[in-house]
Amino acid sequence: MEKFVVVALNSLLTAGLYATMSYGLAVIYGVMRIINLAHAGLMMLAAYATWALNDRFGLDPFLSIVIVAPAFFLLGMGLYATVIRWLPRSSAGPSMQSLLLLFGVWLVLQNLAYAIWGGDTQSILTPYTMESIPIFGGRFGVPQILVFVVSILSLVGLNLVLRRTYLGKAIRAVTQNRDAAMLSGVNAGQIAAVAFGIGTAFAAMGGSMLSALYAFTPDFGRSFLLKAFCIIVLGGMESFTGVAVGALVLAFIENFASAYTAIPVSYQDAISFTLLVVVLVAAPGGLPGLWRLLDRRVVAR
Amino acid sequence: MPAEEGKILAVSSVSKRFGGLLALDSVSFEVQRGEIFSVIGPNGAGKTTLFSCLVGTYPPTAGSVRFRGEELKGLRNDQVVARGLVRTHQIVKPFRDMTVSDNVRVGVLYGRLRLRGAKARERVDEVLSRTQLGHRAQAKAGILSIGELKRLEIARALATGPEVLCLDEVMGGLNPAEIQQAMALVRALRDSGLTILMIEHHVHAVAGLSDRLVVLNFGKKIAEGRPAEALRDPAVVAAYLGDETKEARA
Amino acid sequence: MTGLLRRHPALLPGVLFAAFLLLAPLFAQRGMLNDLWNMAFFVVLATAWNLLGGFAGQVSLGYSAFVGIGAYTTVLLANAGWSPWLTLPIGAALAAAFSVVVGLPTFRLRGPYFTIATIGVGEAVRVIASGLEFTGGSSGLRMPAGTFDFNANYYAMVVLALLTLALVAWLQRHAFGLGLDAIRQDIDAAEALGVPSTRAKLQAHAISSALVAIAGGLFAVNFQFISPGSVFDFRLSLTIVLMPIVGGMGTMTGPVVGALLFSYLQIKLLASPVLRDSYLFIYGGLLIVVMLFEPKGIVGLWERLIALRPRRQAPPPVGEVRRAS
Repeated sequence: MEKFVVVALNSLLTAGLYATMSYGLAVIYGVMRIINLAHAGLMMLAAYATWALNDRFGLDPFLSIVIVAPAFFLLGMGLYATVIRWLPRSSAGPSMQSLLLLFGVWLVLQNLAYAIWGGDTQSILTPYTMESIPIFGGRFGVPQILVFVVSILSLVGLNLVLRRTYLGKAIRAVTQNRDAAMLSGVNAGQIAAVAFGIGTAFAAMGGSMLSALYAFTPDFGRSFLLKAFCIIVLGGMESFTGVAVGALVLAFIENFASAYTAIPVSYQDAISFTLLVVVLVAAPGGLPGLWRLLDRRVVAR
Repeated sequence: MPAEEGKILAVSSVSKRFGGLLALDSVSFEVQRGEIFSVIGPNGAGKTTLFSCLVGTYPPTAGSVRFRGEELKGLRNDQVVARGLVRTHQIVKPFRDMTVSDNVRVGVLYGRLRLRGAKARERVDEVLSRTQLGHRAQAKAGILSIGELKRLEIARALATGPEVLCLDEVMGGLNPAEIQQAMALVRALRDSGLTILMIEHHVHAVAGLSDRLVVLNFGKKIAEGRPAEALRDPAVVAAYLGDETKEARA
Repeated sequence: MTGLLRRHPALLPGVLFAAFLLLAPLFAQRGMLNDLWNMAFFVVLATAWNLLGGFAGQVSLGYSAFVGIGAYTTVLLANAGWSPWLTLPIGAALAAAFSVVVGLPTFRLRGPYFTIATIGVGEAVRVIASGLEFTGGSSGLRMPAGTFDFNANYYAMVVLALLTLALVAWLQRHAFGLGLDAIRQDIDAAEALGVPSTRAKLQAHAISSALVAIAGGLFAVNFQFISPGSVFDFRLSLTIVLMPIVGGMGTMTGPVVGALLFSYLQIKLLASPVLRDSYLFIYGGLLIVVMLFEPKGIVGLWERLIALRPRRQAPPPVGEVRRAS
């Protein structure tokens, strides 16, 4: 029983990180119907930026989010203005063109990192990196707990913005029906730019936090990107609460699989990749789609 | 199992549900071989949904579709085409990067006839001339006018060598002269041995062409029979009256 | 042969080039032959991929899996005593089988979702291959001694390239190619005309994966040593995809142009340490530029330039109204 609680708590902690990582992707997809493959590169770049700040100024990675997130927000808007804006809009869903374009951006970002910081593995060491707190008989690392706290704060913040501010409502409107939103006076172009900025900022937060937890190289990001896809597909691709649920589900599956089955840790990534394919194929509407299916069966006339 | 003399298509209690929406509610009718049979009704009545269920774009939630005695439910679209039932699309779907000739060739190569080589080329030419697209054979489909695109939809479907041709609003967007041409084409197609199922909004075209028709409203069948009787049915008139103000302004 | 040339005079440069390739060992230096081998290798990968990716429009970012299957099949069987050449069809068959296993679930997905799924599959394969014992894990495997014969390797790859080009061109010109094109442009309309879309995609996938696997097997024979890093690498999947995209998907010449470009790039990159570290810039930059300015690649750009040239206007056919453009 104790082990169960420990694993569950670990899943919860991981879910927070996953959710933050995935929200950036979800916002961009929702507003622009673009699958942002550069998300991985942005996370990676933010991880390096955080490391650089830590290396040169001794800045704590969590504190540096205050600098990194806004900086990347601006970077995101800049990316939108220079590159993304020119993509043709396709009402029939995401286009191959946008996918490949952002893939190209990802490659360029990777090279940027190689050029500036080299290919060696980096990691950040802080006074508390090795500390852990005992809860319920398990030891939970302080960085993990901090990551969870920051994630929750950022997600609550995002939710507040989405629900209480004009900007947030405009974003939700464009996500649900772009034409109707424009007819209601929303400047979809500006909203898209801001949404891309927000998406990038969240990618950066994810990257900063990851840098506090794991070692990284410029190539890092791909497995997290695939996990993020898995999460937003699970969550139903258009629902923000769905992302949180998807993050929980993936985190739970991964943690329970490694705790209770014999699957070696190195194969863990294969779990999320397989889950991604399975969900894409078997439940394209994600969990909300499954829920609707169940709902219909249970409440059938 | 030999096809029953006369009855070529039997739709029995077909229903289609999309989540909470019941698009078709237990629709039943029969089509006789060689008929021109129309499906009419106000917008949103479920007519295109019905076609999609017939050809296998998606399966009906309930009910059965028997074509020449064989159950079609559960078959894929391409399997249904191989058996001789094909549809056109209300919103045309040409292969824009291909020439008109190649568009038709897809139907010739992959439809029921599966012709190859010289026979295939002959059939392409034959279909193009029957639909008056011969002079556009080498044009890229992307530059055709709407009238030509509608004829291309028919041409492609015809190319598959069907026994039953389902036409979905082929006269939508056409001017009066083009409508006359289209009506003549439909008659010619039936006279050549095909059975025609058509969804159509132009009431005079429907009255002029159809042997029999069925009227749908909100997914339910509300009338069936010869055009003269069905179009005078008070229920039908009432159903359209709700739409009439929209049509008057169109 | 001359009949074919008379009907398609555009083939002449290709035929001459093929002759050049086949006669090269008689006069060319080893260095140049190595480069030609590389070029032929890339031509096979790009052209085969294009069957599914360009003609059918299903962009797969997981093709390194098939290179790896071919390479590992050859090495493992050769080490068990097989003649390397006999291992090639086995590798091809295994790759085709795997392509069906992957394709059955993933071909239900459309466009970008299919592409993402292939990234996932490719990664899963790499992770698993690095972990397995009998594939030598991440340190790789070596071919048995005495299996290296450069002239034979050279001819094998050149012949494979020519066969691949011939096969894909033949498929493209006939019914199969038209079906794939229809699937690419409008899969629902294609199915509505009787095209069995899933079966066609699976067939295209199987044929192209088999060709890629044979190339992978020849790679193993030529380099004598393989590892997950060399044959299951995501970078390789990337290169395979970039060649037809930059050259021009959906045409026969596009992948060849792309293959020539990338093998040239590779030579330049290997020669200069500065450029070698920048290959991602170059690949990424190319992808960005192509997607923004000319999604149809170099071939598309060429066609656009040709269309701009002034032409004599022919009068419209009698009876047809000239339409406003």
